[in-house]
Amino acid sequence: MNPVNEPLTDFERNARVLLEESVSRIDGRTRSRLNQARHAALEAAAAPRRAWRWRSYTLMPAAGVAAALLVTLVLFNREPSVESPVLEGQHAVEDMDLLADSEGLELMDGWDGPFYEWASTENEGNVASDG
Amino acid sequence: MPVALHGDLDLTDPEAQTRSRALNQFLAGVELKAFKIAQAALRHEDDALDAVQDAMLQLARAYAGRPPQEWKPLFYRILENRIRDMQRRRTVRGRVMAWLPVRGEDEGEEPDPIAQAPSPDPQPARRLELEQAMTALERSLGGLPRRQRQAFLLRTLEGMDVAETALAMGCSQGSVKTHYFRALQALRAELGDFHS
Repeated sequence: MNPVNEPLTDFERNARVLLEESVSRIDGRTRSRLNQARHAALEAAAAPRRAWRWRSYTLMPAAGVAAALLVTLVLFNREPSVESPVLEGQHAVEDMDLLADSEGLELMDGWDGPFYEWASTENEGNVASDG
Repeated sequence: MPVALHGDLDLTDPEAQTRSRALNQFLAGVELKAFKIAQAALRHEDDALDAVQDAMLQLARAYAGRPPQEWKPLFYRILENRIRDMQRRRTVRGRVMAWLPVRGEDEGEEPDPIAQAPSPDPQPARRLELEQAMTALERSLGGLPRRQRQAFLLRTLEGMDVAETALAMGCSQGSVKTHYFRALQALRAELGDFHS
């Protein structure tokens, strides 16, 4: 070789002439596509900031709409519960009251099973007599 | 001259405009040879175009801010990586495809009447000879191991020196010399002392 930077041999020179001839014969369609690719690359070099601005202004409303759709889908696809949402809400408020109520907590601490069983049967008895 | 870390060129900046023009000039200077190199490796015009396009994009996006003298080895390194990726993907699709002859861009289409028209060349015999030599060289190049072909084309077609070729190939200068020497030996053995 002339692996380093010595003058080319005849073989290398001939090969270079052939390869250059081959390059010069590249057709117009390919040249045009390469030209387009080059311009696209140059635009891409300047594009990141513009692209970010575009994304930030365009995708935010789209993301909002997508989130709203998702929430709507989740709400509509929930399995219907046995109790109505209103009752559920009431129970939640009652639970909050129980937690906030210091007496309630004291009752829970000193768990008295027989008392609650008695209270429960009393309540059922009242309901039966009302009905 | 301050050098940007990434290829993010702000074209409102006059310095960036100059850099963009320099990049355009550089890419215009290498695109045809790069296409030939990719075509020799991939043996498919559209794949070769895709590889060159990707290499241009990546150079412009990631390395436009680097000193222009680094662009050539960087560009050819990116191109070679892209070619290798495509070859791997193709290997997965089926090794048989790699051994098919070069596919033209008009494959399966009607022949172009302009291309079919008789050549106005006054020396058709000489032209035919040249074409045969080119075809033989391209075929032999296609049969070389990847690194040998790369070293030979970067040196002979692109005219890169050993240091630049080593950067582009991601190896030592000694390896470049070895690959180049073996490529020359293989081509000589196959083609003899052919004339251009």
